[in-house]
Amino acid sequence: MALKPVTTPDIEAATVELSIDGRTVTAKDGVSLYDVISNTGKIVPAMCYHYTFDPFGSCGMCLVTVEGKKAPVRSCTAKAAAGMVVRTDGDDLFQARKKAVEKHLSVHPLDCPVCDADGHCELQDMAFQHQVTNLANAKQKLIPEDTRSPVLDFNMNRCIACGECINVCKDVLMIDALQFIKKGGFTQVVAKGDTALACEFCGDCLAVCPVGAITNKYSKYLYKPWQLRKTTTTCNYCGDGCQMHLETKDNEVVRVTSPLSWKNKWGDRADTATGHGGICVRGRFGFQYIDSQARLRQPLVRRDRKLPEGKLTETPWLEAMQTVVDRLAEIKAKHGAQAIAGLITARCTNEELYLFQKLMRAVIGTNPLTAVRVKEAIRVYKSQVIVVDSAQTNIAKLASYPMVVTPGTEGLFVQGLVKSVIEQDLIDAETTGKHPEALAALKRAVADVSLETIAARTGISVELINEAASIFAEAPRAIILCAEGVVRRPDGYQNVLKLVDLAWITGKLGRPGCGVNTLTEEVNEQGAVDMGAAPEFLPGQARFDDEAARDKFAKAWGAALPAASSGANLMEILQRCRSGAIKALYVVGENPVATLPASLDVRTALEQLELLICQDPFMTETAQLAHIVLPACTYAEKEGTFTNLEGKVLRVRQSMDPIGESLPDWHVMTSLASGLGSQFEYESSQDIQSEIMKLLPGYYNLGEPRTLSPRPDAYLSNGYVAEVGSRYGVVREAVSERNDHRPFGLVMGQLLYHSGKLSTQASGLLTIAPSAGRLHMNAQDMERLGLTDETRVRVTSEQGSLEMGVKDDLSVMPGSCFFPEHFNDPPIKDLMPVAVDSVTGVPYFKFAWVKIEPVSRDASAHATPQDKARDKAREKAKDKGRA
Amino acid sequence: MKVGAYTQKLLHAALFYEIWDAMKVTFKHMFHRPITFQYPREQRTIPDAHRGALGLLRYDDGAERCVGCDLCEVACPSHCIKVISAEDKSLPLQRYASEFYIDITKCVFCGYCVEACPVNALAMTKLYEYSTHDKRTLLFDKKRLYEIGERYLADAKKYLYAHNQEKDDQDSRDYRYFFPQSVQKPTQPGPPKHLT
Repeated sequence: MALKPVTTPDIEAATVELSIDGRTVTAKDGVSLYDVISNTGKIVPAMCYHYTFDPFGSCGMCLVTVEGKKAPVRSCTAKAAAGMVVRTDGDDLFQARKKAVEKHLSVHPLDCPVCDADGHCELQDMAFQHQVTNLANAKQKLIPEDTRSPVLDFNMNRCIACGECINVCKDVLMIDALQFIKKGGFTQVVAKGDTALACEFCGDCLAVCPVGAITNKYSKYLYKPWQLRKTTTTCNYCGDGCQMHLETKDNEVVRVTSPLSWKNKWGDRADTATGHGGICVRGRFGFQYIDSQARLRQPLVRRDRKLPEGKLTETPWLEAMQTVVDRLAEIKAKHGAQAIAGLITARCTNEELYLFQKLMRAVIGTNPLTAVRVKEAIRVYKSQVIVVDSAQTNIAKLASYPMVVTPGTEGLFVQGLVKSVIEQDLIDAETTGKHPEALAALKRAVADVSLETIAARTGISVELINEAASIFAEAPRAIILCAEGVVRRPDGYQNVLKLVDLAWITGKLGRPGCGVNTLTEEVNEQGAVDMGAAPEFLPGQARFDDEAARDKFAKAWGAALPAASSGANLMEILQRCRSGAIKALYVVGENPVATLPASLDVRTALEQLELLICQDPFMTETAQLAHIVLPACTYAEKEGTFTNLEGKVLRVRQSMDPIGESLPDWHVMTSLASGLGSQFEYESSQDIQSEIMKLLPGYYNLGEPRTLSPRPDAYLSNGYVAEVGSRYGVVREAVSERNDHRPFGLVMGQLLYHSGKLSTQASGLLTIAPSAGRLHMNAQDMERLGLTDETRVRVTSEQGSLEMGVKDDLSVMPGSCFFPEHFNDPPIKDLMPVAVDSVTGVPYFKFAWVKIEPVSRDASAHATPQDKARDKAREKAKDKGRA
Repeated sequence: MKVGAYTQKLLHAALFYEIWDAMKVTFKHMFHRPITFQYPREQRTIPDAHRGALGLLRYDDGAERCVGCDLCEVACPSHCIKVISAEDKSLPLQRYASEFYIDITKCVFCGYCVEACPVNALAMTKLYEYSTHDKRTLLFDKKRLYEIGERYLADAKKYLYAHNQEKDDQDSRDYRYFFPQSVQKPTQPGPPKHLT
């Protein structure tokens, strides 16, 4: 009983004894009797019950007899009590259950052969099990199918009104998008208000539907469940690393199903042991890119980029690899190993990331769902949740302390919290006592910070900041979750450190159930760091300049490692490309041209390269510039592991053959290394795994979270005193200053329905959230500026201006506007000013102050060329400045 | 050697006894009804229950019976059937087989697919003459199967009747489901009144 431990979790329930079929069983008082019975291993049929939510009691299948009661009772709604004598089997119960099945079947169409749930239908199973052959008064509902919603179809003829979809939506996901309605003489499930569905589209209602009443539009009528091959694998959209089942037919991905289903109410419930087992919209409906037509199927080679005939032409693998090897060897011989750089995405598996950094370092010689758990906390443990964001997000609607700050001031708010903790003297004496100098330094640093200023700038009153700080500090267990909103803003690294400060002074660092977590966007960002695919780390998070670790890996790889200071991050790589220090770049799965703003001149930097190798499943903007494009496989076509943000190593299993002639990344890298004269003898990703196992014993914990013990002592005693002052001293805002000309904060961020650029290849997600090219604004602001959905606006920042449509969005706060970062139409990222973090070298470009003004049709025609000219002039000036 | 045996041998040789003896069978058959028949000029009468080539059937109004339920595919022991089904967008709830293949070279003529079919869309006919020089033509597609079904409709119906699958026309109407119960016009044109 993972999610719903007892009916009232606040009270520690007493343990009672009761007898089930003659066996004495102990259980918590007040628990659903059904759970007690199913824990003994007995299977009692139930069609409306799922342990993740409160019993609903509509199907009448879970009947048992309780001594002292005349009629059989429904065990799901009955509560376990001391001294109960329960019988779960018997002919009378069988007949009673059979009657219940007949009742459901009498209004259920017998269209099993055409139904998508055929073979995966609880009602069908029950009809067989109870030998229902005749129906006395069958009638048909004849309700037309509700196809209004995207993604899901509702066929209410088949509905048995079990309410599982409504309950899972309301209780577990807390979205509450479905309701019962009495229409046409029958109770039907419809979206709230009997309209088209407008929710998070997680599809968990589809997963729990025991019949075929809710069907998936993408796999509707295509195949029966028994025709599909089901592979359990790890979702590759975000760092949560949810487990999911990829269902394929030959080389076609038909659908994705979750471990959550009506089937997992029995057994040991191991599938859903660490949560409710559901997946989100990206995982469930964003699979189409795997077998998309846009996938690269052949290696492409360009002879010379400057010549007009130098187009990318399809070339056999052998020839393409030969070209890669020859030209890399040539560049290495001519300009040295430092002229070659590599970039890899965190969407690759651990094995590939490991191999990539080994290839670059040893061979070439250069350096290269969490939200549901929060909701569970709100619901079951009644926790206080403080949500800080510049928009009214879905989670903020459920939180007890939703704090909507002025965009760009999230860091300031954290600063305010630290200050407030110190002012209110909520400091944890035990942990801070060990480092008095560090605490003193921190106190000195925040002395200049004024809560009033912060309150004025963030738009949150001093009292609220104080209250939030005291709630955080006084809670026995408190956790900080932060994501791109904090990390990818100017001073993101500093802000994370401030959060660490906050956790430290309140004693939340290194204590079980507490800590600072960053939620990552790409699935294997944790794995990438662990595998050493970052310039400053060797595998196992060993510092690259750590002599002992360097020796160990140099010996294991049989090659000398490059100099300790030679690593370069993305910004440095681009800088060196521009200056000509880097001649060749090997890009695996990354797309810097499309993701970085134009002001960074990625395009010109990459155009100066002598050799750009791009390895990607799709023809990206970067690949269009490349000399050689190698087709790579997606996660569905290869074996490997991902490490999620909890540190769990999760299996990725191959579910289909590679599309076209594409190859897994590890295969390409192995042959590349062999071509360059190294003996990489890997036959499969298991071979790489066993090498990692030798070098990093205990890394493959297979699903078990690693116990990480933070070592704050080292950090606090070395350099903390010097560092902390600079962190708080400057109360800097965004790079682009807010002024009267540019009153709107433009935020570039993720939509719930998309993840990076990858999901824009998934047609399922594009149906839900298409690339509208429209700016999301608050309705009040739109009214004030006299904008409607039809008008177009001109958005002007320091970097340039663009014309686009607008749409009102309830979650956007007045004074700010939002544009999804997944789409580059219009190229909104080019409006963003860029700030490079001085410590980590990460570019921040997700926030800008902008001016918004409506444009009329004829005016825009005049404005565009002028603006373009102005932009160009500015670009040129910048280039000069750099040179 | 005895004299009697020698005389008999001589007599047999003189009268060509062995030849007459052998021809006895031949002459006997001259007055016998023929057992073989002259295929292909003469054709054998085939019983109704005969399992020949498969065909797809239509209802009397011309609508395809097949609902693309894939049950024949799963019943087939030699995996020679492949059904690709889709939704008919013009008729709500209507599922049909957009493609239907039977690899007749693999078929073992067990008739399980016909038994599995919930709408009696498949039936076996008396057709067995489809030998060809090109093996590829033995992969029957949907068009070919409907052609066979149309051409040998009487045979197919007799087959179903003989195997106790379907009664005569009127009875079969009551006996079998019609899939799906199609709802021709949607009754939910848009959002309800109170929300517009």
